This record gives sequence, C-alpha cells and structure tokens, in this order.
Amino acid sequence: MKNALGREIPDRIGERAPRPFSGAFETVPTGRKAPRPQKTVKPGENKVLGSIEEAIEASGLRSGMTISFHHSFRNGDYLVNMVVDACARMGIGDLRLFPTALFPVHEPLIEHIKNGVVSRIEGSMNGPVGAFVSQGGKLKQPAVLRSHGGRWRAIEAGDVHIDVAFIAAPQADPYGNATGIKGKTPCGPITFCAVDAQHAEKTVVVTNDLQPYPVYPFEIQQGWTDYVVVVDEIGDPASIASGTLKITRSPTRLKIARLAAAAVKASGYFKDGFSFQGGAGGISLAATKFVGEEMEREGIVGSFAMGGGTKLLVDILHRGLVRAILDGQAFDTDAIASLREDKNHVLMDPGHYANYDSRGCATYMLDAAFLGATEVDLDFNVNVNTHSDGQLLHGIGGHQDVAAGAKLTLITVPTLRGRLPVIVDRVTTVTTPGEVIDAIVTERGIAVNPRREDLKERFVKAGLPVRELAEIKAEADRLTRPPGRPVFGDEVIAVIEWRDGTVIDTVRRVVGWK
Amino acid sequence: MPEETIVGTESKGDCRIRLKPGSSGLEIKTSSKGLFEPGIRGVAKEVLSQLEPPQAGIVIEDYGALDYVIAGRLEGAIRSSFPDIPLIRPKVARDPSERDRLRRTRLYAPGNNPRVLVGIELHGADCVLLDLEDSVPPAEKGAARILVKHLLATIDFFEVWVRINPLDTYGKDDLAEVILGRPHGICLPKAESADDVRALAKELSRLESDLGWEEGTTLIMPIIETGRGVLHAEEIAAADERVAVIAFGAEDYTRDVGARRTQDALLYPRSQIVAAAAAASIQASDTVYADIDDEEGLIEETEHIRELGFAGKGVINPRQIGPIHSVFSPSEEEIEDARRIVAAAEEAERGGRGAIAIGGKMIDRPILERAKRTLRLAEKIEEEGR
Repeated sequence: MKNALGREIPDRIGERAPRPFSGAFETVPTGRKAPRPQKTVKPGENKVLGSIEEAIEASGLRSGMTISFHHSFRNGDYLVNMVVDACARMGIGDLRLFPTALFPVHEPLIEHIKNGVVSRIEGSMNGPVGAFVSQGGKLKQPAVLRSHGGRWRAIEAGDVHIDVAFIAAPQADPYGNATGIKGKTPCGPITFCAVDAQHAEKTVVVTNDLQPYPVYPFEIQQGWTDYVVVVDEIGDPASIASGTLKITRSPTRLKIARLAAAAVKASGYFKDGFSFQGGAGGISLAATKFVGEEMEREGIVGSFAMGGGTKLLVDILHRGLVRAILDGQAFDTDAIASLREDKNHVLMDPGHYANYDSRGCATYMLDAAFLGATEVDLDFNVNVNTHSDGQLLHGIGGHQDVAAGAKLTLITVPTLRGRLPVIVDRVTTVTTPGEVIDAIVTERGIAVNPRREDLKERFVKAGLPVRELAEIKAEADRLTRPPGRPVFGDEVIAVIEWRDGTVIDTVRRVVGWK
Repeated sequence: MPEETIVGTESKGDCRIRLKPGSSGLEIKTSSKGLFEPGIRGVAKEVLSQLEPPQAGIVIEDYGALDYVIAGRLEGAIRSSFPDIPLIRPKVARDPSERDRLRRTRLYAPGNNPRVLVGIELHGADCVLLDLEDSVPPAEKGAARILVKHLLATIDFFEVWVRINPLDTYGKDDLAEVILGRPHGICLPKAESADDVRALAKELSRLESDLGWEEGTTLIMPIIETGRGVLHAEEIAAADERVAVIAFGAEDYTRDVGARRTQDALLYPRSQIVAAAAAASIQASDTVYADIDDEEGLIEETEHIRELGFAGKGVINPRQIGPIHSVFSPSEEEIEDARRIVAAAEEAERGGRGAIAIGGKMIDRPILERAKRTLRLAEKIEEEGR
C-alpha cells in the first residue's frame, strides 16, 4: 500500500501490520495507556545490588526479552555495552535492544548481533551499527526508528513493552531516586527514560555516584525503581560535555545562519513573547546566536527557548532575552550547571515536549525552530535518517516533533556537501513530511513552502532572497554531474515511524546502483 | 622512467590527481563509489577527450570536489606532464562589466584553494578577485591558473577579476590562460608606471582580438603598493581607458618604504591615490584590513577611508563584507538630506536663480555634487547591491 506521501509501505513488515502515514495530525488515538505490574515495597527493604549481573538475575531477564537505555552520555556511554556484554556472558540472547539512541561507541554491538545476543534494535543508530544493519539480513525484525515524542508514545501506548530498563544515573540514592545533572560525571538530564522507568517490568538504576537519601532533583523516582547498582564508571562525560560548542567559521554556513535569523525576524512571529528552539548543530547554533543578538537589538523579550541546552542558550537566558529555557537534554557543561542552579532553566521530559498522544506538547508552543537535514526534496520532505547512498546513519531526534509543532520551521542546509546535492527530486527516506516544513534556507536563497504564501510575502517585503526551490536546486546541480542512485530491494531494514506511530517510510536494503 | 605528476591536495572540496606517463588506466578513489564514481569518471573522460594526451595512468582521489575543480586539476596534471598539449578553451558567455560599477568590496580568494574558492560567489561581495599572485606559491602557479580558468567558465559572477602575476614573471602565462574564462577585469599588482599598465592593455588587446571579442572590454585594476607606484599614481590612473579602479596595497607599500602600518603612515599614499583616481574619473579602492576578528577596527578604518574618498575596500574574509557595506551605504537621513538638496537645486534652476538655499542656508556647488553622489550611490546599491 501507499501512504499519504506516496511511499510504498508493505502490508506486513516482519511481525508488524503497519498503519500507513495519513497526515501530520490525522491519527486519533484510542484505548488506554499500557499498564505496569503493581508492586509494593515494605519500609526498610533494600534495593541495592552488587553488580549488573545480580541485577540482570534479579530482574528475571531472559532470552527474547526487551531491554532499554537512554542516550544522555551520547558517544561516551558505557552502560549499553556493559549490560549486553553481561547478558552474553550469562547466556542470555535474542534480545530486543530499545535504546533512545546508539552512537559510534556502541560498535561492539555488531559482534553481539552477529552471534545472536542482540536480534532486534528499535532506536536511533548513529554510525557503525546503522551502517552494519543497513547491509541487510542482520536483524530478525526490521529496526524501528522513532522521534523523541514518538518513542515516549510507543511505550505509553503499549506498542513496545520493556522488560528491563537500565538507567545510567550520574547520581542516585539507595532508594532509586536519580539525576543526570549532579554527580561525578553529569551527563545532563536523564528524563528521556522516565517513561521506560514507569512502564518496564523492572527498572534498574546504575550509578557511579551513590549518595545518601534523598538525591534530587529526581528525574527518575524511587516509586519506579526496582534495583540500584553501583559501578565504577557509567560513561565518559568528556564526550558529551566537552566545554563549549563552537560556532561555525565556514562563511557559507554563517551565511545560511544569518539568512535564517533574518527570516525569523521577518516572519511576523518576532515580537515580545517570541519562543524558539535553539539548535546545537553547526548552522543552527550560529542561527540561535544571531537571533539572540537581534532580540537584544530590537529589545524583544521572548517567553522561552527550548534546548538541547547550550552555553549559548544559557547566555540568552542570563541576558534576559527569554523568561525560561525548557530542556530535555544538555549539550555542554554550562547548560548542566545552569540546570542545577537557575530556577528558570527547567527540566522537561519528552512526554512534556513532544508526545503526540498527549494533552499538549511544548513544541506546539514554539514560534520558530532551526532544523537540519541530510536531504530535502521538491515537496519539502526532509530526510535526516539515511544518506543519499541509502545507508541508515542517523536518528530522528526531535526533528518530527519540533517541525510539527513550531509555527515557523526552517530547514537550514547547504545546497551541496562536497559534490553531493542536498536538494533532490525525491528524498531517499522521508523523516518529516513537507506539510510541516515552512521554508528551506540555503546559501543560495530561501525557498518558502507554497503552503505559506503569507510567509513568502513577508520575506519578499523584508528584501530576503526568496527563490523557488527548483531554481536553487538547478543552480547547485550545475556544479556536479548527478550522483549515482542506489537501487533498493524488497528487504526492509528499518521502519521510520511518524510521531503518531504510523509508518512514514521504510529503509530498504541497497542491492545495486544505477 | 617518466616522473609521476601530482596536482591538487587532500583538503575538503579538492581532489588530487596522480598521473604517470606510459602507464594506463583511470582509477577513481572516492568516499562513495556508487554515488560519485560515475560523475567523476564522466568529467575525467570529457577532459581527456578534449586534451587527447599520450597514454598515461591516472588516479583521481576525490575529497568532495565539484566538477570544475576535477576538470581544472586534471587539465593541470595533464599539461604539467605534457607541456605541448594545447589548452582547453571553454565556452564562456559573460557580458563585460561597466567602469563605474558599485565596488564597495573586492573579495580576495587564493586561486589554488578550492576550499575557499567553492561558493566564493555567494558571499555578497560587490566583486570577487581570484588571486594568482601572493597567495599562490611558485610551484603551484600553473595548476592555479588552470583551476581559475575552469572556475571562471562555470560560475556566474556578479563581477569577477583575476589578479595575475607581474608580466615579467608569470603574468603573461596567467593572462593567456585566464582570459579564456572571460573575467571582467585583470588586476595588475605592483603597478609602478603608466608603461606597466599599457603593457598589460596591449597584451589584452591582442588576446581580445584573437578571441574575436570587442577590444577594450576587459577592465584593468592596477594595484599600487610601492613608493614609486604612489608617486606615479596619476599617470597609472590615466594610462589607459581600461583602467576602472586603482587599488592600494598597504602591506607591500609599508615594507617598500620602511613604514609601520599606522593611519598616519598611510595618509599620504591613500590621499595621493584618491586624487589620482578623481583626476582620471575612476574609482579608488583601499587596501585590506588584515585582522578578520577585529570588526570594530575594520569599521573604524573603513569610515576613515570613506571620508578620504575611497569607493571601496579589499576583503580577505567574507565576514568583513557586511560591516564594509554598511559603512559605504548612505543612511536613510543622508539620502533624505541629499534628496532635499537636489530638489532645491532643481527648483532654483527652474526659477532661474543662481543661488540655492534650504531654510535660509546657502548650498554651494560641492555640497550639491556630494548630494548627487550620495543619491547615485544609493541608487546603485538598490540596483546592484546584494
């Protein structure tokens, strides 16, 4: 069958009967939230266990089950490898891995996939694991990629049932309260797996910094936690909190960022109470900086900025340019410190910011957002998951959730990466549909979605270089002969879910080139 | 055994060609064979069919190079190995420029560095200046001029110049190559006399007529960067009809005369150059500001040279363009004042009065001229500025 974007979706994908994507806000959820077994503990009961192996044993984890993790240590995470290694040693296999995201540091998983310890993965795969899975025939069921909000929804809705949630906690108390913004190796808030902790059969907090009760703030709460394990190390904070992110120095990227900031200024949303998502990628970080400067110049006080928290956003808060920062993640040490110290820097979980099946999302309160892309097509569809060669290499992150919510969603991309065109006739994979994208900002001009004639008028009036997307594409295409195109077979490597649980696209195995 | 020729670098946006005469094959090394090999092979085959070199083994290592970079590198490698092969003559449709175009900024780009060259046309400079002189080491001069030719043939520039080497070093070879890319003008470094300019003009006339172009359409920008050049600024500016701008190069000038680069030390050469330009009814363009992180200093210097009478300034990083353009753009109030003055003058003329007055204040000729100039500039920025 074809979904609303004309993407062919198989009637069955592995054991799943997919619901096709039908539009950004078409799905009406039904039913009730998934239950968790009831349990009680008596006063004085001990939750602290001696090792990960003991916790695995106590949790009843067996072959064929599902284990989950958060990614707040990003490429510095140790826990996923530690737990899967332990399972392998204990003879537990055929596991479904349900992390929020995997990174290059998780490359050892490839061996575990090969020898059957891990047979399924549902979660973002950044780097080698994605490249490995892309070869096809590696997993028993296709991988499933979900946005931050989409993952939260899938757990609450019972689409994914977690058997054991392993939570890397930079600080915890013996009763199972845990935080990511304190401790010996803070990694930023660990709210992403709060939903795991509330829905898993068993929840295990793993910390390298056990402190007396009570540890606070508690992103993970005692009432959710079955066991607490103390280990020497859970992650390398240097790889997430390595000081300050650097603003790009590339003239092309700076130009795109300047244009994006100018577009925000001309959009009609730029007034007191303005809210925006600040990015952490090269271009969006610069755009965030320029928007801040523009707010200062024009004397505009915004309502809130949304993270991933960065030093830049913290500065914007401290300069009084916004009343608050809402943050689900932190990308540098300054943002983590600010979360600890500033009451206007507020912790937020993906349920609060992005869950489709909820009674409100923070992203719906956003005026403007800057997002990236690996590819954009003439229908304004955006791909962030695959490269043009068909390799699955990135997760969705909050892309869908933010794009769907913000009144002004700007995709900031260069028209060429090396000799690879970024604007294409048809994206390799649709992550986010064109209907929620307002404009594409490139170094060759700004293309406004035809659905937003109002915006186009404002941009033209402000003297911005508004052009047709096809014209921008043609200009870039003149500089390189067209790249080869992968030929896809039938085997589905991964399912890309829209944030409501429908299937927006599939990633198929590359079988050749044309 | 013939030597292997290597042209190009491993830096982003570039490619490196290894060419071995007598050997055979065309090998392409790139990050994704599926995506990039067909396109790169296509470009290579086209270049090979145009040049028809003797048998050679060619390896292209791609680091994200655009087609014109690959073509330029490959032609560079082939002609370096086989110097007798005639060069590629691309078809270029570019209209000549005008002498008095808006030139608030001239952006320098090193002619052998694709990393900087790619996208150089997109930064909003009034004119781009592709450099074959100071930024290109002697061993790379040949590769650079070929790359610049291919760049010129591909990119639709607002206005583009090439700074060649002095005619008595590599300049003539530079010219013979880059003219095929039809640049709007040629920048002549270290100009010291009218003869220097005339020699270039003569060479250009010969090339233009060989190519069947209208003679005199390629402009000249002499750069004055020696004591002698400063003393001869007047004759340099007036040496030929093609001279549209004279530029100042402070780094070489201060070295030449033994000065330190201070505003005081540069006041005399700058004033001399502005006066020479005015006498020849052409533009004067100031030297570059070297500290790209010092925006405040850049603005201060630009305000200073605007007061002196310069029409524009050299730029070594795109970040400097915005601040310079703002300094050179008349403010709303300046434009409004200028409109009032010109309107009053027109009214006085209609009424047959000699004297112009606004609110009882007399307006003399120079003020009227300045007002007209402000309006012309504002109009030009409206039409040509980006």
